[in-house]
Parts: sequence; C-alpha cells; structure tokens
Amino acid sequence: MTGVRQGWLVARREIRERGRSRAFRVSIALMVVAVAAILALPALLRPGGTKDIGLTGPAPPGLPAAIQAQAHAAGTTARIHRYASLTGGEQAVRQGHLDVLVAGARQLEWKGQADEQLKAVVTSAIQRVTVRDRAAAAGIPPDAVAALIAPVPVTSVELGSAAGRSPADELAVTVMTGVLLLCISVFGQMVLTGVLEEKASRVVEVLLARVPARAVLAGKIAGIGLLGLAQIAVIALAALVTVTTVGSIHLPAVRSGVLAWALVWFVLGYALYATMYGALGSLGSRTEDAQSVAGPATVVLLVAYFASFFMIAQPASAAAQAVSYFPLTAPLAMPGRIAMGATAWWEPVFAAMLALAAIIGLVLLAGRIYTNAILHSGPRLSLKDAWRSTTTSSPGPAQAKPPETFRHRVRTRAGGRGMATTDLASHRVLITVLTGIGIALGATVAVLTSDVILGVIAGAGFIAVAIQMVKLWARPGPPVAHR
Amino acid sequence: MLEFDGAVKRFGPLVALDRCTFTARPGRLTGFLGPNGAGKTTAMRAVFGLVELDAGTVRCHGVPVSAAERARFGYMPEERGLYPRMRVRDQLVYLGQLCGRGAKEAGRSVDGWLERLGLASRAADRLDALSHGNQQRVQLIAALIGEPDVLVLDEPFAGLDPIAMDAMSALLSDVATRGVTVLFSSHQLDLVEDLCQDVVIIDHGRIVLAGELDELRAKVPQRFVDIRYRGPTPDWSGLARVELVESGNGQARLRADRGTDLGAVLARVQDRADIVSFAYQPPTLSELFRGAVAA
Repeated sequence: MTGVRQGWLVARREIRERGRSRAFRVSIALMVVAVAAILALPALLRPGGTKDIGLTGPAPPGLPAAIQAQAHAAGTTARIHRYASLTGGEQAVRQGHLDVLVAGARQLEWKGQADEQLKAVVTSAIQRVTVRDRAAAAGIPPDAVAALIAPVPVTSVELGSAAGRSPADELAVTVMTGVLLLCISVFGQMVLTGVLEEKASRVVEVLLARVPARAVLAGKIAGIGLLGLAQIAVIALAALVTVTTVGSIHLPAVRSGVLAWALVWFVLGYALYATMYGALGSLGSRTEDAQSVAGPATVVLLVAYFASFFMIAQPASAAAQAVSYFPLTAPLAMPGRIAMGATAWWEPVFAAMLALAAIIGLVLLAGRIYTNAILHSGPRLSLKDAWRSTTTSSPGPAQAKPPETFRHRVRTRAGGRGMATTDLASHRVLITVLTGIGIALGATVAVLTSDVILGVIAGAGFIAVAIQMVKLWARPGPPVAHR
Repeated sequence: MLEFDGAVKRFGPLVALDRCTFTARPGRLTGFLGPNGAGKTTAMRAVFGLVELDAGTVRCHGVPVSAAERARFGYMPEERGLYPRMRVRDQLVYLGQLCGRGAKEAGRSVDGWLERLGLASRAADRLDALSHGNQQRVQLIAALIGEPDVLVLDEPFAGLDPIAMDAMSALLSDVATRGVTVLFSSHQLDLVEDLCQDVVIIDHGRIVLAGELDELRAKVPQRFVDIRYRGPTPDWSGLARVELVESGNGQARLRADRGTDLGAVLARVQDRADIVSFAYQPPTLSELFRGAVAA
C-alpha cells in the first residue's frame, strides 16, 4: 500500500462526493447559464435597431429619404412619422413613441438627453438636404452637388496600451484575470473548508491512522483541483458554444495559445494557493474558523490580483515583469502579459519554473504545519505553535495563563467553549517596523515606476500581508490537550 | 498481541504517558480504564502513530508497529470519526480501500457487516440520518473493515442505550473469540467487569494496575462479605475483625481481610439479624479501580 494509491483514493472520494452534491450541480448549471447570458446579451441588445423620428412643420421634400440613408450608413433603421402639429409631435416624444422630433427642420426635440449618434444622423441629413436645395437654387446641377458633398470615409482606431491589442482585448484580459482569481480562490477555499471539516468531525484521526498526512492533504488538493478543472471545462465549452452561435466576438488577445497558458497558470496558481489554504485550514478547530484562518491567503491573493490588474495597463514595464515572475503574483499576472503579447517565449516558461519551485517549498512547509496542527484540538492554533510543535499532537496544560500584557484583546467565540486571547501588543514594535518597511517599499515603487497608484498598491499590500502573518503567527490560543 | 513498552509522552510540562508498560493479548477483551485526563486517548493514539512517543515503543507480535500494519488495525476514536454527509456504504468501502483492500472485496465485506448488524436497509442513507446507536455500529464496521488483528476502541459504549450496549458487547466478544486483540476504554466499570478478561488502569499517565481481572481481584488482601437479611436494620457495631462498608434496605456489605475466620463472622452476624444470604467475595472492579486510582 503506497501513499500514492491512498492519495488517489482520497482524491477520488473528493471528486465523487463533491461532484454528486446538489449544490455543486446547481452551481455549475447557474454558471453555465450566467456565462451564456453574459456573452449572448450584448450581441442581442446591440445598440442600433430601429429609431422613431417625427417630422413636423415645413421640411425639405428630400429630408425623410436623406435621414433614412444617413441612418442606414450609421447601422440603424429610421422610421419616419409625420405630425400635423408641433404639440402632437411633442406629446409623442414625451410619451416615448418618438426618439426625436424634428421641428421645421431646424430644431431637434428629445425627451431627455440627446442621443448623440441619432443627433449626428439627423443633423447631417438636414445639412445635406439643405445644401442640395441651396445649390439647386444657385443653379448648380445636382450631379455636381452630389460629387461635391459626397462623404469622405473617416475611420477610428482604438490603440489601447500595447501594439496589436485593442481596448476590447484589455477588457478580455481583465475578465480572464478575474476568472483566474475567482477559480483559484473558490477552489482554494474549498480545500480549506474541507480540511477544517475533516478536522472538526475527527474523520482525520481515522484517516491518519491509515494514511500519511501528506497523502491526505495532497489527495484532497488534487481531487478538488481536478473537479475544478472539469467545472472550468464545462463552463468554457458553454462560452465557446455561445460565442460561435450568437455572433463573433473578435479578440486577437484571446487565442488558443493564451488560453492554454491560462489553464497552466490556473493549475500552478491553484496548487500554490490550495497548499496554503490547506495548511491554514488545519489551524482552525471548528468550521466557523474558516474565514479567520483563511485571511492571509485571501489577502495575498487580492494583492496579487490588484497588482496584475494594473500591470495590464503597462504589460511591458519592468514592474510588470517582476510581478509576473514572482510566484505568488505570477498566476494572475503572467497570463495577462502573455495575452497582451508582452512576453518573450521563455518568460512564461521561466516564471512557471519559479512557481513550481515555490510550490515544492510550500508543500514541504504546509505539510509540516498540517501534520502538526491537524490532530490538535481545543482553541485555534497559532502558526507559531503549529510550526514549532515537533510532535503530532497538542501541547500544553489545560489552561495556559494568558500573557500579562498591558493591553490585550479577549475574543469570546460563539458557543462560548473557548476563549482566545489575541495579543498584538507585544508585537507592536514588529508591526510598526513592518508598516515602515511597507511605506518605504510603496514610495520606492512609486518613484521607480513613476506611478503613485502602483506604489500605494505595493505598500498597502505589503502591510496587509505582513499584519495578517503576524496575527496568525502570534495568536496564542491556550492549547488544550485532547486526551 | 499489543505491547506498550516504557511509553513516554510529554506535552510541554505535562507528562501524559509515564513509562507505560502493559500488554493486550489476542483472543481477549482488555478494558482500558482511568479517570478523565489520565492518558487513555493519548495511549490509544500512540498505537496509530497519531502521537509520537518521546520514549518507549508500541509493539505488535514483538516488533514495533509499522505504518503498513497500522493501516490494517481497527481504530474507533471517541468522537464520530466519520463523514456526516457521506452515504454509509460508500464511506465504509472507502475506508476499506484505505486499508489496502480492493473496491469489490471491501464492498462485499461491508455488505456482510451491514447485513449482520441490521443496517442493510440504511446502506444508501447519509450517516447523519442514522440514530446515535446505528452511527456507532457504522463506526465499529469502519474499525473492523480491514479485518484487523488489533482493534482499539475509544469509549465504544458512550451514549448507547442498554440494548445497543448488549449488542456491542456481544459483537466485541465475538470478535475477540476469533483471535483479535481488543483494547477499549470505558468508564462503565460494571460493564467492563462483565465483559473483559483483562484490565489496564491508568492514572496520571502511569499504569497503576494491569493484568487478568480475576487474578487482580484475588491478589487484593481485602474480601467482602455481602449479607441479605430480613427485618429492621440491626446494630452492626462491635463486629470484631470486620468493618462495615454500607448497610440498609435489607443488605449489608462488610470488609474483611483475607484469612478471616468466616464461620466466626457468620455466627456473629446471625446473632444480630435473620440472614437470607451470605456471600464472601473479592472486591468488585469499581472497588479495585477506586483503590488503585486513589493510591
């Protein structure tokens, strides 16, 4: 019996049990519907359609035809309605039957704010008709007039931030990064709550009597990861079907190569963060602890997201490069840079190697914390205790004396079974130093990249992560031995 | 055969196991007794490597327990130890597979056990839909699914009604007669006295008494005389060489030393009351326990 076979059994249980649950199926169905709707709606609600235009008072005879021609050129259809009186026309505008009323070919009347596109259509139609009439009055032959006022085609190009990529691409990349964040955090948190549930229900004791701790953790991460991939595949398929049936969305940034890399980075990012979440989950003792123990990983993930989000604006900068190499931010930053065409071929490969190395390191680290913390019962463990404990069980006499500090915060938990003393006072110096470092870091980044926002993100992110770590490290829950 | 040899476990300043040495023998039920916090659970966890010993070893058949052996041992922790929302049969087959058995083989054996314990109709139900007694049965199957040589149960009788308790007792006895070493902890001393051939008593991490129950009882110098009588409670004072433990309601219990002249005691007692029955016995397990733990 090898750990690998047992790990696979653990993974298979995760897939079967979670895949079978109604919550999982309903969530997949909802997401498929949501994705299809999001992709299909813009195509169905595309602006344009039919505009209702009212005419009243004296108007040149060619005006309706000219309006229709201009509207057609702008990609809409115009329906012309005649009104005998101005008041009748205005009432139709007020009641919403008309988009605009053209009074005497000199005044446009709207219900609210003018529709700029429709305004341009009607105005230019009036101009053309008027010019033609004046030319005829001046004796210029209609053919010559037509040649004179023939429209000059003017096109507009949206350059965006990178060559070969449009703002629409940037939007697509932002969405892709957001989806990566969502997937990594959702599936990562599933690992966390899974670990916590097994610990709280003591199933883990039965498992660990038969299976090594690493195999349990690795199996859980692999199982939830595979299930996550399957879920992503189903939703991606739904998206693809929608896009091909409803209409083309042309985005050069979203190519199969980019999507393949995005998938690779999901796997790497998930492995990285799920390992972290798994270790953090083992620190809690009841399922209600999930949110508080998840704190550090969630903060790191959000900082990584904001960092990558701003990188999309300048994907070729040195800061972007650094963020897309650093293992904790790479899973969110690198796919965006790849999509924006800002990377050489070796860059993602190099970053992936770094991420793999980080994952290996983290697995060792998390394995130790998990092994030490998972059998501990009583109040929530601090990271320090979990790290230092050299054995697999809990230390300590029934109630350790709370540290005699000048000021300490006592938190009573729901259920009142345990009280934990959160003592940050003794770490105040450390937190002050870390905050100072954070401000300095932010300032340096701001100067180097000449971007204040980046600086604020870097500084605030550093401070948030550092304080979370200090809190988790130092939380001295008086450990109670389960005997 | 499960042997603890000088097992030591410290949690910081607290000594949870203090050079524990005892043996649980195959084919017999060994009751593991001790007050709360004495170290029972720590000792049981040590069998499964869930607690790393600071010194000493746990041996099975003379050799230190290996991970592969542990996987086949049966273990039933005190609290639940099963997935509340997983179906009963799936859960048991899964645990069987973790012991190294194939899916089909584990499935057959689970079906057999469910049938035997009257749970066949609940196989597809979620565990949390079952009553406490039935959950405890499922837990027991989970411990037995690896066809273990060694079965370690932490408080298997806690929270069971008398009928479920009888069923559990019968099952454990049956398992033991098939040559399995069964070690279980309990606070129900009467039940342990009826059920177990061997007992181990632990207090403050130290083994204070261990061995065959009958021998342990015989070794103690005190004996007890139980008397049933008719009529009002007589005046027991002034009985030579015996000491009154309790009296009332037509019964009295006297403590005497081993070797006391029983004939003389009976004669003197008969002077004072109309005797219905007279019994001379070694101490009960609960008296042994109180004596050992208080010492």
